[in-house]
Amino acid sequence: MKLPNDRLFRLLAAFFFFLASLSPLAAQDLENSGLLHPSPDSWPTYHGDYSGRRHVSFKQITPQNVGNLSLAWAFQTNQTAEIKSSPLLVDGILYFTVPDNIWAVDARSGHMIWHYNRIATKGDHIGHRGVAMLKGWIFFTTPDAHLISLNAKDGTVRWDKIIADVDKGYWSTMAPLVIKNHVIAGVGGDLDNLPGLLRSFDPETGALQWEWDATPPAGTPNSTTGGMTWITGTYDPELNLLYWGTGNPTPVLNGKPRPGDNLYTCSIVALNPDTGKLVWGFSASPHDTHDWDAVEVPVLVDGDFHDEPRKMLMQTSRNGYFFVLDRTNGKSLLSVPYGPVNWSLGVDKAGRPIPNPEKEPAPDGRLIAPDEGGLTNYRSPSFDPATGLFIVDAHPSYSIYFAKPADGTYGWAGADYGLWGKGVIEAIDYQTGKIRWSHEVGEGGSGAGVMTTDSGLTITGDAHGNVLALATSTGKTLWHAGTGSSMQSSPISYELDGRQYIVTSSGGVLFSWALPENP
Amino acid sequence: MNKVKSIRVALFLASVIAGLCSVSSFETTARAARQSETPPSSTKPSNDSGAQAYAQHCAICHGDQREGNLPGFPPLLGISHRMTDEKIADLIHAGKGRMPAFPGVEDGELTSLLHFLSTAEGAQPVNASVAAPTSLSEAGGALFQQNCAFCHGRDAQGGETGPDLTQSKLVRRDRSGDEISKVIREGRSGKMPPFSFSPQEVRGIIAFIREREAESAAHPGGRRGVAVADLQTGNAAAGKHYFEGAGGCTKCHSATGDLAGIASRHEGLDLEERMLYPPNATSRVTVTLPSGKTVSGMLAYRDEFTVGLRDAKGVYHSWPVSRVHSTVESPVEAHVDLFPKYTDEDIHNLMAYLQTLR
Repeated sequence: MKLPNDRLFRLLAAFFFFLASLSPLAAQDLENSGLLHPSPDSWPTYHGDYSGRRHVSFKQITPQNVGNLSLAWAFQTNQTAEIKSSPLLVDGILYFTVPDNIWAVDARSGHMIWHYNRIATKGDHIGHRGVAMLKGWIFFTTPDAHLISLNAKDGTVRWDKIIADVDKGYWSTMAPLVIKNHVIAGVGGDLDNLPGLLRSFDPETGALQWEWDATPPAGTPNSTTGGMTWITGTYDPELNLLYWGTGNPTPVLNGKPRPGDNLYTCSIVALNPDTGKLVWGFSASPHDTHDWDAVEVPVLVDGDFHDEPRKMLMQTSRNGYFFVLDRTNGKSLLSVPYGPVNWSLGVDKAGRPIPNPEKEPAPDGRLIAPDEGGLTNYRSPSFDPATGLFIVDAHPSYSIYFAKPADGTYGWAGADYGLWGKGVIEAIDYQTGKIRWSHEVGEGGSGAGVMTTDSGLTITGDAHGNVLALATSTGKTLWHAGTGSSMQSSPISYELDGRQYIVTSSGGVLFSWALPENP
Repeated sequence: MNKVKSIRVALFLASVIAGLCSVSSFETTARAARQSETPPSSTKPSNDSGAQAYAQHCAICHGDQREGNLPGFPPLLGISHRMTDEKIADLIHAGKGRMPAFPGVEDGELTSLLHFLSTAEGAQPVNASVAAPTSLSEAGGALFQQNCAFCHGRDAQGGETGPDLTQSKLVRRDRSGDEISKVIREGRSGKMPPFSFSPQEVRGIIAFIREREAESAAHPGGRRGVAVADLQTGNAAAGKHYFEGAGGCTKCHSATGDLAGIASRHEGLDLEERMLYPPNATSRVTVTLPSGKTVSGMLAYRDEFTVGLRDAKGVYHSWPVSRVHSTVESPVEAHVDLFPKYTDEDIHNLMAYLQTLR
C-alpha cells in the first residue's frame, strides 16, 4: 500500500519540530503551516490534522511497554457536564471545553492557566466538542449559536458573532475548522424544521465570508429541512476541498411531507472552502426516517484500492454502512454494512443504501437496527495506515420506531425506543469491508472514540469506564485503567520534552497518560 | 422634554433598523453587535409558542403588549375583530408598506401566532383550564430548553432518546415532585445523566413539566407517544403459534406460569418493550477459584478484568478475571438472538397473543 502523504507528513513534521526547537519562546503562534503539517508537540485541530484519521506517528509507547503506562496527571473540571471535546494542544497548553466553558491547562502538569465561562441562557447544552485556533486566537461555538474569538493568552474575548438564530432553534456544539483565512462553523437544530448551514468567518474580524445551506428554506413545497452540520469536517489541501457530513432531515421520523432523497441531508458533501460552493455530494441515507445523521468523521486516506492508487474518503456512518468514496468526485468505491442493518433493500448503482419503505416508522411500530444512536455516533474512528484497518467503536443495536398522523409534521414527529445494544470495537478492512477483528466493550455501548499509533496501539474505552490500549493488529487488550465513567470523547496524543502523552477524558475529568519518569 | 423625546425617537429608529435587519438572511454588523452585547432579553417571556412568535417577529414594531406605536405602527389588540385570520396570514406572508414580509412564519408557528393575536389583552396564552404560567415555570422552561429538550423534546412530549414526560406514569403519580427531583439529580443509569440544579431550579423544571402535562391533557390527539390502541394490529392466534413454535418462547416462558396474567400487569408500549427485551433481567454466574472451590450467585459486574456476584445472602464478591474461571448463564440472550429473526408481523402477532394473557 502506498502512502506517500504519510512519509511526507513525517519528514515535514520532523522539519517543523526542528524549526520549533530553534525558537522555544515563540508562544501561541500557530500558523496555517502548523495546521497543514502539525508538529509532534501539537494537536492543533479537533481531529489533530486535516485528514481526520486520528492516527499519530509516535513510537515511544509501544505494545511491549504499554503495560507500564501510568497517570501523568488528571484535571478536574468540577462540573457535571461530561467532557465530549478533543483538546487542542498549542505551545504546551491544552484547550478544551464543555458547553459554556473553556479551560486552558498546562499540558506538562495539568494545572489550570485560565478558565472562560459564558452562560448562554438560551440554546441546547447537549455537549461541546472543542475549539479551533489560529495565530494566538481561539474560536469557540456556544449553545446559543455564537462564534466567539478569544485571546489564547488569557481567554479575553476579541469578537462575538452569530452563526445562526438561537430563537429559531439553532445551537452549536462543534469545534470550528480553520482553513487558510477561513473559520468554518456549523450548527445543530433538528428539534425544529430548519435548514442546516455552514458559515465561514474571517479569523481577524469575524466578518461573514460565505454560507452554505444544506437544504432549501423552511416552507419550500415538497422539500425537506434539516442537514445540520454539528461535527467538524476534514480538508484536502491538494484538491482544496472541504469535506463535511450533514445531519438528518426534518420532520425527523415522518418522511411523508418531504418526498425524495432529501438532499443534502444525511450526506457527505465536498465544498470549496474559499467560496462555500458545493463540488459534489453523496447521499449516505437517502430519505432518512431514523435520525441517522451522516456527520461521522469523513476520514481522508491516500492509498491503493483494489490495486489502484486512490484519494479516498471513508466513513462509518450512523446508519450502519461503511462507505469508501473517491474523494475527487464523490463516486462510491465500497458501501457495506459493518453490523446489524435491517432497514435497507441493499445499495443502488451509485453505492447509496435503498431505504425499505416497510421500515419507515409506523403507528404499530417497526423493529429497526441499528437504534437511533446509530451503529456509531460522533466520536472519532481511526485509520491505521500500517494495517489498512479502519477502527470504529460500533454499537450493534435494535429499537422500535413509531409515527402516526397525530404526531404531525414538525420536529420529531414520532417516537422511538431503544431495546438493546452493546459496544464492539471493530477493525474494518477498507478494501472489502470485512471485519478483521472485533473486541466487545460492554452492554449498552461504550461511546469512546478511537486513536491509533505508528507503534501499533489502538487507544479507546469500554462501557464500564476503562481506558483500553489494544494491539491494532489483533484487537487484544494490552493495558487498561478504570476511570470511573465511560469516555465520551476521542483520545489524542502528543510528544512534549521528548515524552509521549495520551490524553483521554471521562466524566468531567481529563486524564494524561505517559510512561513513568524518575521519580 | 424635547431631549427625552429625541432619545425616544432615536431609540425607535434604531429598533426599526434592527427589526429590518433581522429580516435579512445574513447577519449585519449592527445586528450581531446588538445580539452579542446585550443578553437575550424578553420583557414578557412566555412558554406559549404564539407569544414567542409574536415576541420574535412582531413586538419590535407593534409593541410588547400589542399596543402599537402610532402613527407608524398600528396596535394589534383586537385585530381579530378587524381582520380574518386568512387576511392576517396574508399580511404576515406578503408584508405591506413598511412592514416586511415574514414568509417563514408557517404551519404550527403561524397557527399559534394567529391564536395569540386572537386572545384578549392580558389573556394568558395557554388554555384557560391550564395553570397559568408563573415565573417559576418560565425559569424552569428556560432550563428545560437548555438541558432537557434535546432528549425530551421542547414541549416535554418526547424526542431524541427521551420519553414523553407528559405521559410519564412517574410524573403523573408523583404529585409532590420528590420522585422527579430524584431522577433529575441522580439520573437513570445508562439512560440519563444526573443534573446538579438548585432546589429552586428543580422546582422550576417540575413546574414547567406540569404545565406541559396540563397542556397536553387539554389538547388530546396531537400528542406523541404510543397509545395502547396503536398496538392492536396483530393476530393473537398467529402470535400463539409463533410463541409455541418459531419464537422458541416456551423454552423459558409459559402462558400459564410466569406469563399468566401478564397483560393485567402491563399494557401497551410497556408490555411490548418487556416482550422484546425484558428490563433488569438477571444472569447467574458460577466462579471457579484457583483452589477448585466454586461460588455461584447473581452476576453483579463483569468487564474484561473483573467479575463480581451477589451470593444467596446478598453479599458482593469479586475476582480478577485472570485468576478465576467463570461461567455466565444469561437466559435473556435468547431475546437478543430473536432480533434478527423477527418480522414486524411476528412482533405484532406476539403482542396480540400476550394481550390475551389476562
